[in-house]
Amino acid sequence: METDILVIGGGPAGMSAAITADRAGARVILVDESFSLGGQLRQQTQHFAPLPGSEEKVRGTALGNDLIKKLEASKVKILKKHIMIGSYRNENIGVTDGEKTFAIQSQKNIIAPGAAEKAKIFPGWTIPGVMTAGAAQILINRERVLPGKNAVMLGSNDYSLEVARQLKACGVTIKAIVEDKEQMISSDMELLHDMKNVPVYLNSTIESATGKEELNKVVVKTPAGLYEMEADLICIANGFDPIIEPFEIMGCNLAYHKELGGWLPEYNVYFQTSNPSCYIAGNAAGITTIGPVLLTGEIAAIGALEELGFMEQEEAEAQRKELWKELAEIEKRENEKTFRARSELIEGFHQKIGMAFPEEFNMVNGGAHNG
Amino acid sequence: MDKSTIVCRCEEINIDEIETAIKNGAETFDDIKRLTRCGMGPCQSKTCFYPVNEIIAEYTGMPLNEVSLPRLRMPLKMVRMSTLAQDSEGSNVVSVFGESVEDGES
Ligand SMILES: Cc1cc2nc3c(=O)[nH]c(=O)nc-3n(C[C@H](O)[C@H](O)[C@H](O)COP(=O)(O)OP(=O)(O)OC[C@H]3O[C@@H](n4cnc5c(N)ncnc54)[C@H](O)[C@@H]3O)c2cc1C
Ligand code: FES
Repeated sequence: METDILVIGGGPAGMSAAITADRAGARVILVDESFSLGGQLRQQTQHFAPLPGSEEKVRGTALGNDLIKKLEASKVKILKKHIMIGSYRNENIGVTDGEKTFAIQSQKNIIAPGAAEKAKIFPGWTIPGVMTAGAAQILINRERVLPGKNAVMLGSNDYSLEVARQLKACGVTIKAIVEDKEQMISSDMELLHDMKNVPVYLNSTIESATGKEELNKVVVKTPAGLYEMEADLICIANGFDPIIEPFEIMGCNLAYHKELGGWLPEYNVYFQTSNPSCYIAGNAAGITTIGPVLLTGEIAAIGALEELGFMEQEEAEAQRKELWKELAEIEKRENEKTFRARSELIEGFHQKIGMAFPEEFNMVNGGAHNG
Repeated sequence: MDKSTIVCRCEEINIDEIETAIKNGAETFDDIKRLTRCGMGPCQSKTCFYPVNEIIAEYTGMPLNEVSLPRLRMPLKMVRMSTLAQDSEGSNVVSVFGESVEDGES
């Protein structure tokens, strides 16, 4: 199989990249391992704002369906239930549909595999009833299965509180929020308000989780002593880390940036990695919110399009400038630290390879990389 | 934390076994893997990678960004041998393993 641009991952970032590339006239193949597109948006029933070009709140699932509709109306060749499992020496990507394995030859790849939830260990974390917050969210919103009746949330980030709120709406009692830091991580007023009747244990950890066949007792270690509670569900919300395996396979250099989720590929302002044929987009390029996830997909696509001659340099620069401006605006507003870490990563990579910053980036970044 | 707490759930390796490996000279995830099978289960260390690195960091005092990453090998995700061996479009098990960029490395 052969194409101009190969996109790995059909989440919001991959879909946004594929739609942008198709619009400019490139031949695009999009590969996703799942039987349905949408990535992690498929279970996000909450509303998101701001999105690129809009302050209006949109439900995650609706946003996903909208992108799927656009993609299906385009000329992009969609390969669902196909997994990238490796690469060949000539850099063709190896894909399997479960029956056979074949190579896809592409000029450029845009890799957007998303992020994974970080595990957190404590005695009993492997017994049934203990799961990540994401797993609980998939169960209620996608599978329509109630994962338990009495839940303990481990972690107090936005995601933890959002899932707690959704579980509550399904009739689950939130017994406690357990946080090992000295204060709640989330500063979202709305979420904090919704959790105001839930006991919060700060500077605390789960001492043990026990049960015969499934979880029924949780012991929390707090500065004031041990608390025992009955619960049949523990949701671990320990944050996300970028998925790096496809990039490692493609020989991309990695760097460690705590604020971006941990290890991730290095990339430049075009979202191009150290392997010039591989671009990166979405949460794989640093854990962020949905607006920037979509924008990184577009910026990566424009870089690939420009390199392949599907877009004039001037046009690409103009579009990139607008997209970077919006990315900076949204990300600085929602999570300043993430934007700073992203700028640092890009700055470090440019210095390493001796690559000049394009005008458009100097303007949005306010010259932060000079300091 | 109780030393019998499981860290690698796929291979049922606990904290004590990992600390013992470190005591015996293991410095990286891969060293621990070779000594204990930690990370060799169905998830291929996707679950236990961060917890193990945290233990190494804590035990040795090395910052997390200096604890090296486990060596990744193809195939990237679980796949049946027959799928790899299937000769389709000129590609077969030889091309995934033999032709891979890792070829020739140990
Ligand atoms: C369980 C879970 C719940 C989340 N919930 C929220 C939330 O409530 N709010 C929020 O803001 N963020 C949430 N996130 C973060 C989420 O990553 C982003 O919201 C957003 O979906 C990121 O978009 P993306 O396109 O980068 O990745 P994703 O949406 O994760 O899409 C990546 C796609 O790539 C595919 N893929 C990965 N590897 C391969 C491969 N080797 N071959 C083929 N296909 C592959 C996957 O099947 C997936 O469809 C969640 C993440 C997870 C894991
Ligand atoms: S948890 Fe260690 S290999 Fe899966």
